[in-house]
Amino acid sequence: MKTGARRVAPDAMDRWPEERLAKFQRQKIHRLLRHVYARLPFYRQRLQRTKVHPDKVKTLSDFAQIPTFCKQDVLQEIRRQGRFDFGLEAIARKEPAVLCMTSGTLGSSFLYLPRKWRALRGDSLLRAYWWAGLRPGMRMLMAAPAWHSLSVQESRVIERLGVSTVVPWGTFLPRNAGNFIDTISDAKPDFVSIFLPMLYAILAECRRRGVNSAEVFRSVKSILAVGAPMTPRSREQLVRELGVGDIFEGLGNPEGLTAMECASHCGHHIFVDCCFVEIIDPKSGAPLPAGQRGNVVITTLIPHGSIFLRYDTEDLGVILPGACACGRSWPRMEVYDRRANEVEIAGQRIVPYDVRVCLDELPELVNLPFAVVRGETKMKRLTLLMQKPASGNLEEIRVRIANLLRKQLNVEATQEWAEELPQRWKGVTVIEEKDWRGERV
Amino acid sequence: MNRIQRLLQRSAKAPLYRRKFAGIKPRALRDLRSFSATIPPTRLEELAAETVASAGPMSPRLCAGRGPRAIFQLEYDTKPAHYVALDRADLRGYGQVLKHCWSLVGLRKGDRVAIFDYGTSPLSYLAASSFTPYLEHGAADLMGCLPVCNDGVANMSPRAVEILRYVRPRVLFIRHDCLHALAVEVERQALRLADYTQALVAAENESLLSDEERRGFEKRLGVPIYRLLRIDAAMFLAMECPRCRLLHCRRDAYFVETLAEEDDAAENPLVVTNWFAGTSPTVRYLSQVRGSLEPSGCPRGPKDLRIAV
Repeated sequence: MKTGARRVAPDAMDRWPEERLAKFQRQKIHRLLRHVYARLPFYRQRLQRTKVHPDKVKTLSDFAQIPTFCKQDVLQEIRRQGRFDFGLEAIARKEPAVLCMTSGTLGSSFLYLPRKWRALRGDSLLRAYWWAGLRPGMRMLMAAPAWHSLSVQESRVIERLGVSTVVPWGTFLPRNAGNFIDTISDAKPDFVSIFLPMLYAILAECRRRGVNSAEVFRSVKSILAVGAPMTPRSREQLVRELGVGDIFEGLGNPEGLTAMECASHCGHHIFVDCCFVEIIDPKSGAPLPAGQRGNVVITTLIPHGSIFLRYDTEDLGVILPGACACGRSWPRMEVYDRRANEVEIAGQRIVPYDVRVCLDELPELVNLPFAVVRGETKMKRLTLLMQKPASGNLEEIRVRIANLLRKQLNVEATQEWAEELPQRWKGVTVIEEKDWRGERV
Repeated sequence: MNRIQRLLQRSAKAPLYRRKFAGIKPRALRDLRSFSATIPPTRLEELAAETVASAGPMSPRLCAGRGPRAIFQLEYDTKPAHYVALDRADLRGYGQVLKHCWSLVGLRKGDRVAIFDYGTSPLSYLAASSFTPYLEHGAADLMGCLPVCNDGVANMSPRAVEILRYVRPRVLFIRHDCLHALAVEVERQALRLADYTQALVAAENESLLSDEERRGFEKRLGVPIYRLLRIDAAMFLAMECPRCRLLHCRRDAYFVETLAEEDDAAENPLVVTNWFAGTSPTVRYLSQVRGSLEPSGCPRGPKDLRIAV
């Protein structure tokens, strides 16, 4: 390893024994609890209401007694107080800071991010880029959504690693896919950091232009994609189609979750140096053991900027049991979708990711857009709206899909084909039946 | 060596200028008059043609030997695409220019500033060092302001209104093509904008909001609207002064001329030379913006170059 690379290479914390990691997290949580109780009115009031004093929280079970809160609570508080800073932000007036925003599927909230936050989160995130193969001296393509906290962390990663960066004009919209293609072709980056749906938009634009996507991505050694879950088959196909070395998936949310894949691609290692993750039963709120799906609850461990303590992300996820083949000890998780996108079919609760995994068993359907149509009442059958594949006997494919869904998810399914899914439904995996029928009228 | 000679010496490392200025002796150019008379302007089309001719992948004015730290694709609808490459010093100079624009519009320490534009616009990426690698100090860091950005897409107007409501920025910088959508959203929510911000600044690349458009939006929105001119290929920013209503730009950052195309024309294309850009030098860039130069002397920036557009 060259000296420069050695200087910024991540330390061995990701291989610490489990007990040492647990102790580290417990200490961080205690420190954080004392900090928020002393300084942040939002938490002090919540803790006082539930009669939890930081000094009495000795174990993680004690910690789990602290009530969770969710986006709706945040939005309510912002509206009630009429201001972005409603008491969960550690504001240091003298330190440069920026405000970022959450993407706003439920409504936008704000994140106050001072320089110290950027330094700590960015230095932690560097490990993910390192795992994905980014090294000093390389060139990386980054999009620059300045409203999003990832760009704040990513800019720090780039500086620390000493890589050069190239930025395509515009934002993550299909209409900007051409800019991404031009920039990748012209600047020849070694590494691409991208929003996964944008990668699909780039592929579609390559097909429209009649250019070979592997030619466009010729210089790219690896890709780090965020923003949507990728099934194993989707990844394999993307790697083949783009001709890149590998694609790594990152999980995260602006409120503080970071979890990244290693080269084993068996779940996402939780970045335990800056966040603590629990999976809870959405009804009882009780923590669930590894292997059981539930709501993802996060606690940020960095006492700077906006702090989220037992924040229910309303994402559906799981902590994966067992150890990773890579030998790293950081626990692994998977996030499947928003809890709101879960549908109940004949007593079975499934999310579009489950359907995607089944569909990807058929080579002609890998990565092909689809949507689950959700009825207003409890559904007996799963209704899928699918874009027609480029080849194959549709009736035959329909039967194979039905069999697969029956076998793997234990549900009966009805499919309808569409020449192409409307733009507003592409990438939107659940649509309401009334909207869909309305659209067709 | 004066700054003209230094600029030409630097430019000689870029393929475009090496070819274009072959035969010109930098030492003979002692002042701006001889510089203007000797150095031919460079058009956007010329940059594109040179890129194609040289089969070079990036900018033909990229200086050899200066490893660029950040390369930005520019907002021009041309084939091939245009880029500027910037190193730390370039970013420092560019950031100072944005700071000057912010000061001119009346921003002060402790203010909140909203930017409704793409993250790839210099208005956004120069706002804070947190947004851009290798930018040591953005305008907000230099001034002690708190910036917040919203993606520059018209349908993000509801989020822009949320920013206005809950952040209450002193000034909202906005892409020209998002103004209408914002006005519609403000009207839909029956928001009295003046309760939430003091001014809007409308910006566009190589174009400006017309006076008529400005008056129309001011009437609809109930707050003053100032204009900011971006000429991204030249890494140029000029802010409309709330006092004299002319565009101001820093004399130590740019040399601005007009290129007389027709006799007695009141306005001619602006030609910009950038003094701080070292990695992608800009030598007499002929913009698509027409204007005229006015004498310095506005109390808000007595030494600033002033442009009427």
